[in-house]
Amino acid sequence: MIANIPSATLVGVQGRSVGVEVHVSNGLPGFTVVGLPDAACRESRDRVRAALLSSGLPWMLRRVTVNLAPSGERKGGAGLDLPIAVGLLVAASELPASAIEGCAFLGELGLDGSIRPVRGTLALVDAMKSATVVVSPLSAQEAGLPGRHQVRAAPDLAALVDVLKGRRPWPSLPEGANRVDPARGPDLAEVRGQAVGRRALEVAAAGGHHLLLVGPPGSGKTMLARRLPGLLPHLSRSQALEVARIHSAAGLELADGALEVRPPFRAPHHLASVVSLVGGGSSWLRPGEVSLAHRGVLFLDELAELPSTALEALRQPLEEGVIRVSRARATASFPARFLLVAAVNPCPCGEGMSPGACRCSDTARARYARRLSGPLLDRFDMRLPVVRPSAEDMVGAAGGETTAEVAERVAEARSRAVERGVTANAELDRRRLDEEAPLSESATALLERRLRSGSLSARGLVRIRRVSRTVADLAGSGRTVELDHVAAALELRGGLSMLAPTLAA
Amino acid sequence: MDGGSLISGRAAVLAGLPLMTPARLRRLLAGRTVQAAWADVTEGRGLAGTRPDEEIPEHGLDLGPLPPAAGTSRGRRGAEEERLAELWARAATSTDVAGVMAALTRLGATVDVLGRRGYPPALGGDHQAPAVLFSLGRRPALDSPRVAVVGTRSATHYGEDVACELGAALSSCGVAVVSGLAAGIDGCAHRGALGAAGAPPVGVVGSGLDVPYPGVNAGLWRRVAERGLLLSEAPLGASPSAWRFPARNRVIAALAQVLVVVESHRKGGALHTVEAAAARGVPVMAVPGSVRSPASAGTNALLADGAEPVRDAADVLTALHLQAPAARAVTHRRPAPSGVAAQVLAALDWEPTPLGTVLARTGRSLGEVAVALDDLDQAGWLTRGDGWSQRRAETAP
Repeated sequence: MIANIPSATLVGVQGRSVGVEVHVSNGLPGFTVVGLPDAACRESRDRVRAALLSSGLPWMLRRVTVNLAPSGERKGGAGLDLPIAVGLLVAASELPASAIEGCAFLGELGLDGSIRPVRGTLALVDAMKSATVVVSPLSAQEAGLPGRHQVRAAPDLAALVDVLKGRRPWPSLPEGANRVDPARGPDLAEVRGQAVGRRALEVAAAGGHHLLLVGPPGSGKTMLARRLPGLLPHLSRSQALEVARIHSAAGLELADGALEVRPPFRAPHHLASVVSLVGGGSSWLRPGEVSLAHRGVLFLDELAELPSTALEALRQPLEEGVIRVSRARATASFPARFLLVAAVNPCPCGEGMSPGACRCSDTARARYARRLSGPLLDRFDMRLPVVRPSAEDMVGAAGGETTAEVAERVAEARSRAVERGVTANAELDRRRLDEEAPLSESATALLERRLRSGSLSARGLVRIRRVSRTVADLAGSGRTVELDHVAAALELRGGLSMLAPTLAA
Repeated sequence: MDGGSLISGRAAVLAGLPLMTPARLRRLLAGRTVQAAWADVTEGRGLAGTRPDEEIPEHGLDLGPLPPAAGTSRGRRGAEEERLAELWARAATSTDVAGVMAALTRLGATVDVLGRRGYPPALGGDHQAPAVLFSLGRRPALDSPRVAVVGTRSATHYGEDVACELGAALSSCGVAVVSGLAAGIDGCAHRGALGAAGAPPVGVVGSGLDVPYPGVNAGLWRRVAERGLLLSEAPLGASPSAWRFPARNRVIAALAQVLVVVESHRKGGALHTVEAAAARGVPVMAVPGSVRSPASAGTNALLADGAEPVRDAADVLTALHLQAPAARAVTHRRPAPSGVAAQVLAALDWEPTPLGTVLARTGRSLGEVAVALDDLDQAGWLTRGDGWSQRRAETAP
């Protein structure tokens, strides 16, 4: 007898539908799993056997073959324990096939028969086509997030068999814990002074422009960066699901209850490994920080302290919005479209922003500047010098706007970008810029002057035009981009005379 | 090779021996001919029979595996001298003197030995004069009155502007500007002097004449050698080791009739030169700077210690007992800015003012302020840097 149980396995951050076929026949007793199972899958045999026996169910001494279809693709994880066990019971005629019609199963089995949650439940369930999914009670919330399935849960194998045989009804799903509104992020109004920095955050949020903050220690770069995610609009439902899938596949806890709609904020330490930053790993392909920040903000403090391999590895996600990780056994492509905010000191002693204050030797300064390659620095649409607030800033009247006030303007500006057919202005290419962001005469004259003097390059020009479009959107301006929009954009993409003396804006 | 160039060649080789320092070279050549010194070295006697030079103590120069003998027992000093003698003998006998001379001729450089004809009298009277001097360029540059203009390598726009203006003004009054061709103040002083096309400048460098350092000033190096005079105590090919710079600073002080420090941090190489000048009775002058600027901390301290202040070239010329030319009428009068630009200009200090402060003081939007700053920059009312702007004086070019 053959049983065919639908389930799923995780490849990167995507679930893939898997059919668990169980064949029981006469012959020398044996239990083989085929279909490229990984070590955890192969160990299923022992877990399933113990679970069945602990649950008072029979373990037959027959020849059992389990095939994980499609057989040419690698399968991973212990989540296939439950479908294998159910398949065995059906194939051995312990359970009628009609009982499991339209159901998919997903769960790890404990030796005592308990059904345990599986990492990446959301992504796995999302890949299942059946109408009903049966999971561990601890995964039930997560499994319900895609919203397309009827979710059933059973605490252990014995209870599950009882339900399937019709002896009792499905147990009710556990109540979600009362959703405590998670602490709101820090508010923009708490920042004193830093008028330019606050404006830069607004523009970066509105247009999706990558932002580099350059300044001495203690100037407030980290403080500013942490206030950026609060300005970004909430995620749409499909975007939120996408983010939740990635986080689930990485093994992170998801918020109880409803989907998290606030964009993620990831701030890895500069000593974190390259693998934890971009993804990979040897046993299972784990999404890295760049993917966990998908649709949100990735904040890299002390950018120059990152190893150069990490900096190089950032280029693909910044250019393409995905990161491809390959290992000898498998390749996976993880989404990685995020807003990058980085903070960096202008030179090793940190004081290079104040004229004449830098005490670094020439070689130390040159060595430091070499770490940040031209192409990487060029990726930032906005590059802002941040100075320590002066006494008059700190003590002056707090007139700063709140996060909520600025977020409203940002959302307005973003909707104008959507009308143009892009998620954010940072995605506009040269052709679209010509169409959507024509320049006024005086604006053109200013740009020409900068190009001629060499303080602006051709690539810099495209970036300035994108940022000016965003500045114009925030000002509620019409189609033409005016002189003061362009001038503001130029201020927000300052020169980097300390870091890259030869790099034009 | 004729007798004269044989002597020059040997002197050049002696200057280029491993672990040779100004003190050791003086000791080697004191009171005798190059021939005699050469014989001693090639025959392995080295410094034996010479007295330690009291004028330039060895102590303080860190040169590598043979530590300087500073007041240790006679026995230990003896052993070191023996090792030096061995080292030198090997190096001297294996060097191609004709080749060295040819390289110098190709470059167009001359070698002068202290005490022989041809050694610049401006330097010859100094109690610590270099025993062997390499030069490239026009000798007559040393005939004009000479003012050394020195300062920090990490200078502000203000310091660079002032150094350049001073260099230009002094040169057009017939004064030779002496400096070290370093980044920052030195380079600007020379740039100004070259631009004025008056008296040609004199550069004293720490590396060999064919090793421009720092790279950014390579063009300047060339121009000073073409139009003025380039001097070095180091042989061709010598790299800019750290210890050569204090040594070169004493030569700058020796050549100067007046020393002007434009900008210096609290501790800096320029203060070395000040010490050397003070020891020679050369008047030291300093340019005042903002009490908030770290780059003027050293110069302001010099003023507090009694250095004469320099507000413009006229102050320097007075110290040289030269007549200052009639002040030139200010040639451009810029139209005063109005509206937003006037507000923005009023919000700027005479020190670097961050953009955020300007926004806070004027209450205007980023775009308006940005346009105003750009206009003011074009009209020459201010200088700009990363995120800051600063007012400039009316007469600034």
